Amino acid sequence: MTNVPTNSDLETTWTFVEPGLKLIIGGGVDDNEGVNPKMYMNVYSAIYNFCITKSSSSGNLAPNSGSQSSLLVGGEIYNKLKGYLSLYVTSLEKNPGETFLEFYVRRWSRFTIGAGILNHVFDYMNRYWIQKERSDGRRDIFDVNTLALLTWKDQLFIPNSEVLIKEILEQIKLQRDNQVVDTAKLATAIKSFVALGIDVNDLKKPNLAVYIDHFETPFLAATKQYYTAESSEYLASHNVIDYMKKAEQRINEEESRETLYLDEHSKKPLTDRLNEALIVAHKQVMYDKFNELLDQNQIDHISKMFGLFNRVQSTLEPLSDLLSDYIKTQGNKAIENLKNDIANDLTKANLPVSGGAILKNVDPKLYIRTLIQVHKTFDGVVTAAFQRNPIFVKALDSACKGYINDNSIAKPSGYKGNSRTPDILAKYSDVLLKKSKDADAVGDMSLDDIMTIFRFLNDKDAFETYYRRLLARRLIHGTSSSEETEEAIVHRLQSENSLEYTSKISKMFQDIRTSHELRTLFKEEASKDAELARAADFEPFILTEMMWPFNHTPNKFQIPTDLEASFLKLQDIYQSKHNGRVLKWQWNLCRGDIRANLSKPGKVPFTFSMTLYQIAICLPFNETDTYTVGNLLELTGLDQVSFTSAIAPLIKFKLFTQEEGSSIEDPNTKITVVKEFKAKKLKINFAALVRGIDNSKEQEEAEKEINDDRKMYLKACIVRIMKTRKSLAHNMLINEVIQQTHQRFSAKIADIKKCVDELVDKEYLARKENQTYDYLA
Amino acid sequence: MTEKIRLTTSDDQEFIVERNIIERSVLIKNLLNDTGYDEDSEAIPLPNVRSSVFKKVIEWAEHHKDTTFPDDDDEDARKSAPIDDWDKDFLKVVDQEMLYEIILAANFLNIRPLLDAGCKTVAEMIRGKSADEIRRTFNIVNDFSPDEEEAIKRENEWAEDR
Repeated sequence: MTNVPTNSDLETTWTFVEPGLKLIIGGGVDDNEGVNPKMYMNVYSAIYNFCITKSSSSGNLAPNSGSQSSLLVGGEIYNKLKGYLSLYVTSLEKNPGETFLEFYVRRWSRFTIGAGILNHVFDYMNRYWIQKERSDGRRDIFDVNTLALLTWKDQLFIPNSEVLIKEILEQIKLQRDNQVVDTAKLATAIKSFVALGIDVNDLKKPNLAVYIDHFETPFLAATKQYYTAESSEYLASHNVIDYMKKAEQRINEEESRETLYLDEHSKKPLTDRLNEALIVAHKQVMYDKFNELLDQNQIDHISKMFGLFNRVQSTLEPLSDLLSDYIKTQGNKAIENLKNDIANDLTKANLPVSGGAILKNVDPKLYIRTLIQVHKTFDGVVTAAFQRNPIFVKALDSACKGYINDNSIAKPSGYKGNSRTPDILAKYSDVLLKKSKDADAVGDMSLDDIMTIFRFLNDKDAFETYYRRLLARRLIHGTSSSEETEEAIVHRLQSENSLEYTSKISKMFQDIRTSHELRTLFKEEASKDAELARAADFEPFILTEMMWPFNHTPNKFQIPTDLEASFLKLQDIYQSKHNGRVLKWQWNLCRGDIRANLSKPGKVPFTFSMTLYQIAICLPFNETDTYTVGNLLELTGLDQVSFTSAIAPLIKFKLFTQEEGSSIEDPNTKITVVKEFKAKKLKINFAALVRGIDNSKEQEEAEKEINDDRKMYLKACIVRIMKTRKSLAHNMLINEVIQQTHQRFSAKIADIKKCVDELVDKEYLARKENQTYDYLA
Repeated sequence: MTEKIRLTTSDDQEFIVERNIIERSVLIKNLLNDTGYDEDSEAIPLPNVRSSVFKKVIEWAEHHKDTTFPDDDDEDARKSAPIDDWDKDFLKVVDQEMLYEIILAANFLNIRPLLDAGCKTVAEMIRGKSADEIRRTFNIVNDFSPDEEEAIKRENEWAEDR
């Protein structure tokens, strides 16, 4: 069997291997004819023998060549192979009736198999001679497989690439025109371009130069051209909705094409061209359609539009701006409608219509529900059509912030102050949290709604102030419907904002709890003392001055002797527990029930709920039936204003009679108690009938409190920042302050400046040149 | 059961070897993949390997059928790895002639780990020996004249192990 030539020259060896090479490379009678194991081994052995035999002999023949590479042989047979491959590739011919693409693919498929096998039978040469040459820096010598591919590229691909690419692009166009084409052929041809990208300096490095230069560039240009033309034509005869469907379908088609025969590299550029031609080029017509789709609540179409724009990040922002504007408009419209309803009601009732009047008459529940409804609607849209994409969630938020804080009710035209929404939301909470006979009225109100609106308030501090005022009343008048709900809302405000935010509210609850303890203690003491037994129901509240929204005005008042004992006892108990604490009495807030034996004989006596002032006015009448105003003022120690407002309902509802035609401000006016009081109910609440402090005055107070708190907060904030930074430029300081306060309120720059000036005056800060401040310790 | 492959050595001996064992030879592995060898095919001729040598090669391949060798491309790992203990013993017991033939066969069949082990064994035989010792070990006739030898020694003085 040893017919393999050994120790032979180049020609003998080549003549021996050539028939095998021919079969390997696909030059046999039948393309698919290959080599058998014996032939394979013979070719391998012949190359092996040639390389090793010649090396030892060449070593002997050229003893002077010092380089080791001269001992390795292969150059001659390498050149022989190179010439052979070149000849073979250029001899390939199309079959009659075959397109160039078909020919190319048929031949390429066979050639690559052959090149692989060739590479194996020349393995010995690859392993030694070629590796040595390449590691010596020769860049024009390649392993046999690469040599074969390069030959193909130079001799067959490059000279014919134009016709080949043209045919490929034609096939792709046919496919886009919905004709059936042989995608497997396309895939093979296109993949060959990747295989032909060979970096002669680093054979292992993938190189897409051939693919990109010859195929990708013209392919992308053709793609863009195709879809630019198609989309414009389509839009000329179809509406935007149909166009969006078409564009979506086209993109899907191209994406599946992509995986069929394109290299990964083309994915992004192809997507870019498609987006450019199908989306960006026609974005305006789609934007123009957007409001209409929102009007008709066409979620599917909106979703489709979003799907398209979501492919091009830069097109989302304008769409989200449109959405934001739309929501704001809808919010303002809804409020405008509510405002008109209120205005109509006022007109019907012959009342003057003004921004202030509307504010006074707005039903907190209706107002908040209107705000909520708009938010809910568009929150739904953002979920269903925009998959809660952050850009659109942000648009929704900013739009809601807009109409919730600033609308024609919260800021009537010409009104310069802060938004009234926090105030109305606090009232809404009060309706929800107050004891109510009408359970249905609050049935559809919820903490969630409060929190939803709360989140959007710019002036969260204003809400806190108003909320605390109403909470204070609920707590000391015991009108809260549920302690649990009260606490739940505080928890939620706390977790939504901060611990600090609810600190005053928490302190109020704590005061109520300690007051309850005090009451229990008082009860125990009272039970031991006969004189105090009647005062067992006494319900004292000890409130921390700064935490509660009550201004202590040292009222002139003489506590009725009947109550003096319990008052002194309480003071005793408290002082013995907390020595040194100052107690100030808020007489104007005290209330009590008194029983009045003014019924028809034999009937149940009346119970009157009264303020302490009213009680003080009534008690002397146990002695005598008539007093002058002067007497009563002296006995109660009250000033004229408090006296007048306290007694007014008592006279109005005919508990007392006042001398005909006299003035309540005249000390000589006589007041007489009726013999028999007439009323349908047995329990009468006179306290509630006292005309409280003017609404507008209370609001003024609240606003003042808010502004003072803000000032404090801003100053504290500025000092805190300066203390850590030591020195800071004016603008940086303003920015940081705004950042640190935005959770509470939106700070006005003018206010911050004012606070800075005050701090400079007080020498906390020093003004330096370049608009910089230094912190002074 | 794995496929059996028939091979014929240069002295016309037929061997039947399991495919996964003979595939340690990259040459045979490629051949099997490239030619569609099957049971009906002629035995694969090995014109450059004698049966006694091939036996040793098969013995080595069977021993290493589950061994994972360092990657062919990781030249440094291959070069620096010490000779496997089993390989050392396996190559120690054969005579010098057989050692060379195993090396040649490994080279022909493209069995890199065996080629490496063989070459390292030869290198071990040289290590630490004087020129004369090396000549004795490998049966080399000193054909330098004393002058030539002196010149070479001077040129290579730096390499002397002192």
